[in-house]
Amino acid sequence: MQLKKNNTRNIRDSLAVATCTLLAGVGPQAQAAEFQSPWEIDSGVLFYAEKDRVRLIEPVLQVRKEIDDGEFLTARFVADTLTGASPNGAAPSDVPQTFTAPSGGKSYTTQANEIPLDPSFKDTRGAVSVDWERPLSEQLRGIFGASFSIESDYTSLGASATLARDFNQRNTTLTVATSLNLDSVSPMGGAPVGLSEMSTTVTGGGGEGEEEGEDDEDGGESKTIQEFLVGVTQVVDRNTLTQLNYSYGHSSGYLTDPYKILSVLENDGSGDLRTTGTSPYVHENRPDNRTFQTIYWKGVHQFGNEGVLTLAYRYGWDDWGINSNTYDVRYRHELGNGHYLQPHYRHYNQSAADFYRQTLIDGELPKLDYASADSRLGELTTKTIGLKYGVEFKGGGEFNIRVESMKQTGKTRAQDAVGKLQGMDLFPDNKATMVQVGVSMDTDTLFKRVAMALLKIAK
Amino acid sequence: MTKSVPASVFALLLSALAASAFAAETAPEFSLPAVNAQGDVKLSDFKGRVVYLDFWATWCPPCLKSFPWMNTLQDRYKEQGLSVVAVGVDRKRELIEEFIKQTEPNFTVVQDDKGEVAKAYKLRGMPTSYLIDRNGNIVLTHMGFRTKDQDKLEAEIKTLLEK
Amino acid sequence: MSISRYLIIATCLMLGACSLQAVEPWERDVLAQKKMQLVADPVENYLDEHTYFSKEATSGGQGVGGGGCGCN
Repeated sequence: MQLKKNNTRNIRDSLAVATCTLLAGVGPQAQAAEFQSPWEIDSGVLFYAEKDRVRLIEPVLQVRKEIDDGEFLTARFVADTLTGASPNGAAPSDVPQTFTAPSGGKSYTTQANEIPLDPSFKDTRGAVSVDWERPLSEQLRGIFGASFSIESDYTSLGASATLARDFNQRNTTLTVATSLNLDSVSPMGGAPVGLSEMSTTVTGGGGEGEEEGEDDEDGGESKTIQEFLVGVTQVVDRNTLTQLNYSYGHSSGYLTDPYKILSVLENDGSGDLRTTGTSPYVHENRPDNRTFQTIYWKGVHQFGNEGVLTLAYRYGWDDWGINSNTYDVRYRHELGNGHYLQPHYRHYNQSAADFYRQTLIDGELPKLDYASADSRLGELTTKTIGLKYGVEFKGGGEFNIRVESMKQTGKTRAQDAVGKLQGMDLFPDNKATMVQVGVSMDTDTLFKRVAMALLKIAK
Repeated sequence: MTKSVPASVFALLLSALAASAFAAETAPEFSLPAVNAQGDVKLSDFKGRVVYLDFWATWCPPCLKSFPWMNTLQDRYKEQGLSVVAVGVDRKRELIEEFIKQTEPNFTVVQDDKGEVAKAYKLRGMPTSYLIDRNGNIVLTHMGFRTKDQDKLEAEIKTLLEK
Repeated sequence: MSISRYLIIATCLMLGACSLQAVEPWERDVLAQKKMQLVADPVENYLDEHTYFSKEATSGGQGVGGGGCGCN
């Protein structure tokens, strides 16, 4: 009996000693001029689901460490698995339509009066990015980054450099950034020739023909994106911060979506699919370059009650004829004891690309260079409303969860709703729900909590 | 005499390296409430001692990193006449009290909630430390806190203490 | 705050690059808070950017740098 009691106490004491050593070990060292700092971990998972369409799960892990005075290393790891169906670009019809899957595999049928959705929209993507941030002089900081992402038919490699110079006792910051991305697309079945007929037969690989442009060994395509950004961040007063940025970007190469098609209608005004040729569907085609610019403004203001209002506005325009406006507002309300609620509203609208069409007419193809029915290029509005709840723990760390509801509505082009298509919705609404959970903690706090939990268990 | 010549040259060089160089200037007097002691603390309380005056805040990570080092300094050179005084510019006293409870510094911590003393010392960045000699003159101003500067600062303090 | 001060702040917010009165280094307590950063939640920001990138034609435009505690 006596022996047993001692044993328990000995274990408890050893654990206490071990814990103290652990705690002492992770604290800042007093002696040598050796840099010590914990890892900051920010993680989250996004669950995204569209009504009847795409679903995805996307976990993110970001780790950041101060490796020397003012010098930081940040690494971010992302994975996402996408499943579900996505519009293939064809228009609805009054009869069922059958399409071949891009990989030349299973074909799928869309019922009458329904927007054709390709159900084989399934992929897993992995991405990693690393940023190295360091002071270059008293008032100048540099951030250098590299990124890589891969999925079954797409790989992307990127590099970026940012310089931030402080003025006016760090009340004003001028930022200049540049980035370069090299993407490589290897579409299943090969890149089809733009505006060529969609293959109706099941083939092992290769569509109507390979794209005669830049391609690598396995018939892939490439794309280059260069971006420049210049911005000013200004401290307005003790509670207010603003930022104004201008960005300029240029992408060149294969910008077409190899899986998207367009419906070609009979030239008689009926709205029937054409019967000439082997298929009434053609592959889309986009220009091989695009110049895009944005002006972005953001303001953050804290009120006396410690509530924070964040406003952002962005105007975007490009040489494809797309102009957009983005409005974003968030208000963080403190509930006390580190708990907060943050409602959010985002409003986005864009005009259609010059070559955006919802249907084509037989006979006009030779006159067209470009055409695409990708909803992403259409005249649309996206409205998102959300609520986030979070709690900042006293000793450090945070947990949060947010739920957002997104609705995207697009305009049916009257000119393309020919004959029997009149009255049909050529751009149905897309509704999505997002749930995201986030956890942040630094390793010092994490170890302390684990140690204390272990101590509690030992008792 | 022979010792002080290279020491002042060294001090001048350090001043030139520091973000803002002061010629030997009288350190402004102050009277601030102590947080880890009772009553008010005046600069004149330390007359005859070398003072390492450090302006910090709980919201300034590099400032917090300097605390263990300042603790070591105070321990090591207390007998020789060094007094470390940390001036917290936090508006809320509880925040300073909370931090002191966790770190238990062995030096004097005071609060300058309105930033009036920081202003008097023409503070241009957080953190900033001022090295004040036994006659109450600022001999060195050091902006920022970097691990690699610790040894240099300590050497400068030692020199001043030996005068 | 007076009406004129609100107007000045509104104009400044629009221009994003003027200084009413520099905030002193010891007055950065509010700006140093995590919730006052231009990108307060980097994970949420990344996920949102990625979501809208695949649904809309315009993307990006945000910058980094500025604000914060202004330390070191």
